[in-house]
Amino acid sequence: MKLVAVTACPTGIAHTYMAAARLEKVAKTFGHEIKVETQGAMGIENKLTENDIRQAQIAIFAVDIEVEGRERFNGVKVIQVPLQEALKNPEGIFAKIQR
Amino acid sequence: MMPQTHEPLHFAFVCPLLSGLHARPASHLAEAANQFAGDCVLTNKRNGIVANCKSVLGIIAADVRHGDLCTIQTSGADQAESNAALKTFVNEVLPGCDVPLPTPGSPKASRIFPRTLRAAKAKFIIGTPLSRGIGQGKVVNVKRMSLQAETKPALNGQLEFERLREAVQTVCDRLGEQLKYSVTPAGSAILQADLAIASDVVLLQKLSEQVRQGRSAAQAIVETGEFYIRMLQNSENEYIRQRSADIEEICWQLLQEVGGTQIATPLELREPSVLVAETLGPQQLLALDRRWLNALVLEDSANTSHTAILARSLGIPTLTDVSNGRLALPSGTEVIVDAIRGFALPHPSPAVYRFYERERQTLHRRKEAWEQRAGELGGTADGKRLEVGANASSVEELTLAFDNGADGIGLFRTEMLFLGREDAPSEEEQFAVYAAAARNAGSRPVIIRTFDIGGDKKVPYLNLRQEENPFLGFRGVRLYRQYSELLQTQLRAILRASAFGDLQIMFPMIASVDEILEFKQAVRQAQQKLAQNGTAFRPGMKIGIMIEVPAVAFHLDRLCEEVDFFSIGTNDLSQYFFAADRTNSQVASLLNCREPSFLRFLAQIVRQIRAAGKWVGMCGEMAADRRSLALLVGMGLDEISVPAAEVFDCKRALATCQSDDCVDLLAHATESRNSVQVDELLSSQPISQNVMLLPEELVLLTSTSKTKEEVLQEIVDAFYVSGRTDDRDSMEEALWARESEYSTGLGHGFAIPHCKSDAVRANSICILRLHEPIDWDSIQGERVRMVVTLAMRKSEGTNSHMQVFSSLARKLDEETFRQSLLNFQTPEQVTAYLGEQLGLLISPEPVNSSPSQQATPRNRS
Repeated sequence: MKLVAVTACPTGIAHTYMAAARLEKVAKTFGHEIKVETQGAMGIENKLTENDIRQAQIAIFAVDIEVEGRERFNGVKVIQVPLQEALKNPEGIFAKIQR
Repeated sequence: MMPQTHEPLHFAFVCPLLSGLHARPASHLAEAANQFAGDCVLTNKRNGIVANCKSVLGIIAADVRHGDLCTIQTSGADQAESNAALKTFVNEVLPGCDVPLPTPGSPKASRIFPRTLRAAKAKFIIGTPLSRGIGQGKVVNVKRMSLQAETKPALNGQLEFERLREAVQTVCDRLGEQLKYSVTPAGSAILQADLAIASDVVLLQKLSEQVRQGRSAAQAIVETGEFYIRMLQNSENEYIRQRSADIEEICWQLLQEVGGTQIATPLELREPSVLVAETLGPQQLLALDRRWLNALVLEDSANTSHTAILARSLGIPTLTDVSNGRLALPSGTEVIVDAIRGFALPHPSPAVYRFYERERQTLHRRKEAWEQRAGELGGTADGKRLEVGANASSVEELTLAFDNGADGIGLFRTEMLFLGREDAPSEEEQFAVYAAAARNAGSRPVIIRTFDIGGDKKVPYLNLRQEENPFLGFRGVRLYRQYSELLQTQLRAILRASAFGDLQIMFPMIASVDEILEFKQAVRQAQQKLAQNGTAFRPGMKIGIMIEVPAVAFHLDRLCEEVDFFSIGTNDLSQYFFAADRTNSQVASLLNCREPSFLRFLAQIVRQIRAAGKWVGMCGEMAADRRSLALLVGMGLDEISVPAAEVFDCKRALATCQSDDCVDLLAHATESRNSVQVDELLSSQPISQNVMLLPEELVLLTSTSKTKEEVLQEIVDAFYVSGRTDDRDSMEEALWARESEYSTGLGHGFAIPHCKSDAVRANSICILRLHEPIDWDSIQGERVRMVVTLAMRKSEGTNSHMQVFSSLARKLDEETFRQSLLNFQTPEQVTAYLGEQLGLLISPEPVNSSPSQQATPRNRS
């Protein structure tokens, strides 16, 4: 499955990036292809293109704050979870997608 | 006693007051009873004590506690009225008589109370730090002086009695007058209670009785005071025991009245003590045994009083503006005074002791870390030289200054030699002090300021008039013409001592070129006298002046032709510049040395003097103000002279400054609108950029902290020791603010607390490994062993450091990375590994590695 994700936390120093790393790793074990955009202290990195989003079947928002450019995801199925969820139970997120 | 025509009337009541019938409610009851001619007697049924209800002292001595059953018996012609009135009083007025006075913990200003202490529910009283440091000991209230009187017997009973009555009247009048002008309810309540004691019928009876027995008025006061103090101190109620201080205070005042003069009984300290007083004069402070004096708590003191200066230079932690300090901290209370943060903590709990034990170690480590480099420091990060000298008023202080790495003594005050004595100090006496100073200083310069005395000081042998406005009056060099012999004596003593070291002479309060010409002539005269007698002195001694009078700032070109050096005395200069008395707390806020107008003034003074090739230092309070340091560097001063105890901290702060940045900063500051803008500008200054992200001193592999509070405190302390934060409490709050969003526990025994705050002076990573895993409030309840802290400056925005932070965050998701961190044995291994993994700067680049050779010349002539 092709997935896209956005991670963002209030300080944007640590958890944004850890969550991104975690999602990338666990997605692989489920056999998914994933691209994760981080919205942290350095601004938006690894930005999802229109093309990335169009091709994705599902978008995961692991965020504690408002996603920047949310309108980009209109028409895509979005699963939104608190960022902590991506750190503590990323498997659960993917299991939900599976169903 | 009134003839009893009726059976006395009784009524009973139970004391409703939690603190019992102490001084304030007792004074109200006595007041009510004194409305009536007949007798009113109170009996405490618990202890059987019978007291005259018209006497506050009597009521207090009855030791009526909460819940005690008491009776009041009235007799005499008006007994019906008095019985009814007192009954009404007891039922309706008495319960409201004990409006609580402000107690410890009522916050006066918003400030950060450290997290660990908050968690320990520590009680605290707020004050303003006047001299930084932490001290601990038993409270000694200055109010409580031991009563003493001359032992000469009374000559004339009638005369003694008259003196006594007059004294009581005067004290009562004075209290009444003070009461009229008292603005705080708490202050009024205390004054009322004092007044009630002073006008107590029983007190006067007892005093008169003593005089009748042949004692002098003074002896009568001492004996009576001691009698009541003993009685109250036997009380089981702590509050009443403490009230013996009120009686002592009243007796003390009476004693001063009958004695006519002030009897200065030196306060004897016998154990680690914290002195609590309304105010304290410099002489009183000097008279104390400093071995036992660990801290001072003052209720009122303007920011730059001499006591403050002295306390700072002696390194005595001092807290001021502590309202009702003496009430909240009665004698005997164990207290910790935190004159860094601005708190006093009475009755510290074990958790509070533990906090301050760690604090002590942190401060010690910070001092040690810098001390070894203090000697070689004295310049900015980029090697621009700025001497850090010290202010001293004794050889003892001078020694402390050199221990702390002072480059010289920028101001050696000599007034202390002249004050508090009946006659002027002799040449020999002065010579001994100056010679000791010169010997202790070795090759380092000591600038001795000739005596600076004015109408605000009582010097019996000088006959100075009390002046309306002593700061604008007959003071400093203005006295020298009239007291030319005094000046000659001092100059000879200094000149003779100059044979032992590099002594220099500085004249205070110079306002014109003519003045300096006159005093240079005086120096020549002293030299000639010594030469005639064949006495040794160093020829060509340097002569300089203080810049305190604004006038001289506009005549510097001419003055530079006449003197060798200048020292800017910002305390007086600023008060003359702003026309605001620095001892008047109502206008003291106008005196902000970081006002752009004053900064411009200073910058112009320094520029002119430097252009003439002369040496210029600064010895006022501003020199030691850490916030102003970058500005002073920017001005290009040759020296700053600070209190002895602060030399080392000042050098440390200086070593983090970049001189170019400081010049820019000053330029911006002088263009600001006000000091608020200047302060904003200053707080946004980062420390020099070549500081490493992860220094070894931030790798703590053997932490024994037991709670999350302690871990975060330990981390912040490590930042403080390394100079990466000066505002620990704000940094700690920033870390906790992030924790309150949700725990930074990551799983696998790791936590990653982080903050974005300008309390952090340089972006940093800190690695802490716990000996025993601890709970981290994480939802899964998993225990944490490894704490990786990321601290970033808020105002810095995006930069390469953020890149490192984000890759570190990602790395923490890797098992092998985590295992490595858990297994390293030494900080070197950790920094090397992280350096390699994250591309960090790992070769240590000490902040002050290569002082440039083109330092400013130290030559003053």
